[in-house]
Amino acid sequence: MARRPARAVLLGMPALLLTLIAGGCGERATPGAPVTLVFKHAKILGPADPVPGLLRRFEALHPGVRVRSEALTWSSDEQHQFYAINLEGGSPPFDVMMLDVIWVPEFARAGWILDLTAFVPAAERAAHFPSALEPAVQEGKLWALPWFMNVGLLYYRTDLLAKYGFAPPEAYDELVRQVRRIRAGEGDPRLDGFLWQGKQYEGGMVNVLEALWANGARLLDDAGRPFPEPARARESLAFLRGLIESGVSPGWVTAADEELTRRPFGDGRAIFLRGWPYALDLFELPASPVRGKVGVAPLPRLPHGEVGAGSTGGAHLAVSARTRHQALAVELVRFLTSDAAQRAMTEGAALRPSRPSLYRDAALVARDPSLPALLGLMQRGRPRPITPYYLMLSTTLQPEFSAVLVGRKSPERAIRDATAQVDHLLRAIAP
Amino acid sequence: MTDRNLSWLFLAPALLVLGGLTVYPALWVLWLSLQYRIPVFSIARWAGLEHYAFLAVDTRFWNAAGVTAVFTVVSVALECGLGLGVALALRGQRHWRRVALALLLLAWALPSVVTAKMFEWLYHPSGGLVNFLLGGRAINWLGDPALALPALIVADVWRTTPFVALLCYARLLTIPPELYEAGQVDGAAGWQAFARITWPLVRPILLVVLLFRTLDALRAFDLMFVLTGGGPAGSTETLTVYAYRALFQTLQVGFGAAIGVVVFALVMLVAVGYLRLINRESRTA
Repeated sequence: MARRPARAVLLGMPALLLTLIAGGCGERATPGAPVTLVFKHAKILGPADPVPGLLRRFEALHPGVRVRSEALTWSSDEQHQFYAINLEGGSPPFDVMMLDVIWVPEFARAGWILDLTAFVPAAERAAHFPSALEPAVQEGKLWALPWFMNVGLLYYRTDLLAKYGFAPPEAYDELVRQVRRIRAGEGDPRLDGFLWQGKQYEGGMVNVLEALWANGARLLDDAGRPFPEPARARESLAFLRGLIESGVSPGWVTAADEELTRRPFGDGRAIFLRGWPYALDLFELPASPVRGKVGVAPLPRLPHGEVGAGSTGGAHLAVSARTRHQALAVELVRFLTSDAAQRAMTEGAALRPSRPSLYRDAALVARDPSLPALLGLMQRGRPRPITPYYLMLSTTLQPEFSAVLVGRKSPERAIRDATAQVDHLLRAIAP
Repeated sequence: MTDRNLSWLFLAPALLVLGGLTVYPALWVLWLSLQYRIPVFSIARWAGLEHYAFLAVDTRFWNAAGVTAVFTVVSVALECGLGLGVALALRGQRHWRRVALALLLLAWALPSVVTAKMFEWLYHPSGGLVNFLLGGRAINWLGDPALALPALIVADVWRTTPFVALLCYARLLTIPPELYEAGQVDGAAGWQAFARITWPLVRPILLVVLLFRTLDALRAFDLMFVLTGGGPAGSTETLTVYAYRALFQTLQVGFGAAIGVVVFALVMLVAVGYLRLINRESRTA
């Protein structure tokens, strides 16, 4: 008799599964009822989250429309996975989505997001940094609009550099000299030189790309072939490894991400840090040991490069290709990326706008004096390779670059192996 | 209706559910692994055994297979040895046994991502507790390819030893004390009592524990994913991390499925080996 309940459970399971699956498909709008737009985005950090206020303003401008905002998981990998599964699966339960800038070409190629070309006038596009807009344009069509922007930059300790009479370094050999001189002068074994992110992850990839650009090398040429300037690329990789071997950077940068490097610098235990603008607000908190002692500069260059360039990052907003409310969803994207909304984002969150005009805005500059300095950095920023298979490329190359940074492979060998793998990848995609 | 037919009728719901939830997806993955499937690029064509042929010469795959093997053998051996030791110590403990048990459970009850984040800060080269306890040396635990895998193994051992210990402890409690008393009369004490009484009685349960732990370790994912992302230089990339990167991060569905099939075959092989051992054990017992 003990078997009967067990069988009931087994018989019930498919029904239960069906209910779960049906329940997961999201709501269907009924005609005549008020329209609900679903906006999927990561939680916005900062003193005051401006998003709810912006959405209420949008609702006030569009009577009968409700916008529900749904939070994405924190990690970028999981966000990408969430989108891929929902968008490939058929009817995604959202209309407007926040995308990492590196995903836009991929999503456009996959047909997951709506072509915005006809909806957005040229003047509205031109109001954004070219390097922010460029990744959103594929084959002459516009697929997303920039929401906020990031750029890789060099943090330095103004007090230490001033003490030894140094200006922020324009070239890396200068940076190395300054580190040696300051550390010798300070005699503090706990003071590190130059911190950056060398862990095997997307951030590590960004650091390597910046080193390539600093030496006038690229990862892909215009036709998409890897390492068009192999000699310069080898020098860049050898330089990064050399930073560790010579002790200018501590060995642990090979396992470091943004936060693991931001903290020691914020505690006053490093002279230079490669980071993103968000850290500036944290360095200037009242309790910060480095408050008022941090300057920002462009990333330095290597011998064969003309200027150093920081990688751009940030988020774009796009519309699901299967939304039932195209016009409204596009309106929401244009509203959230507008001058007024980006102003609110800059005031409330620790984020920087993708519109150059806001960096010269007197009211904003009064609140955030770093904006004019960041303007130059943003203008020098350079997007990562704009290709639909960027993520494949990046995950394929990360272990090779990591192997150089930890001294397991020579730069020559890593570039040879990386080229072979990228070629294999390209054959699978375009045989 | 004959008894035989009736028994099939009774079995049918269970078979249907198992078939729908296990066999069908497994066959589907096998089918996918024989194709080039990259939805983003609208690629869907027959590949035959090409993915498997590439895996045979793919250094990243062989590296991941090696990492998986080392991780599995070392972590499972340590967990079982330590777990049994802890169980024996628990049985010998007179006071505070419940508190010790509760503390043991704590490590096992923590979600593994929390464990991973905790170890990330423990291992931090300049601010971490581990280096502090080692006298303030700046050992680069997670950034050195020679140390990263051992560091992950330690975290895994910390997390799963309690599981082994609890199962062994449960078995120890069921060994009748008369056996030891009889042994004592025959002059078996200390090591001899362990080798002749405890060990033969614990061995069957230990084999089951080994089976569980080995299958888990072969599919290890969360610790390396959170702590090192498979790095540095791929030195902690297991087969499942590689499969994840192919399947979910870069959406190479066909290729990722091929890795999945290999992991599945490996797990099945090991499971069958263990089950034979367990069967033999129960026949001789």
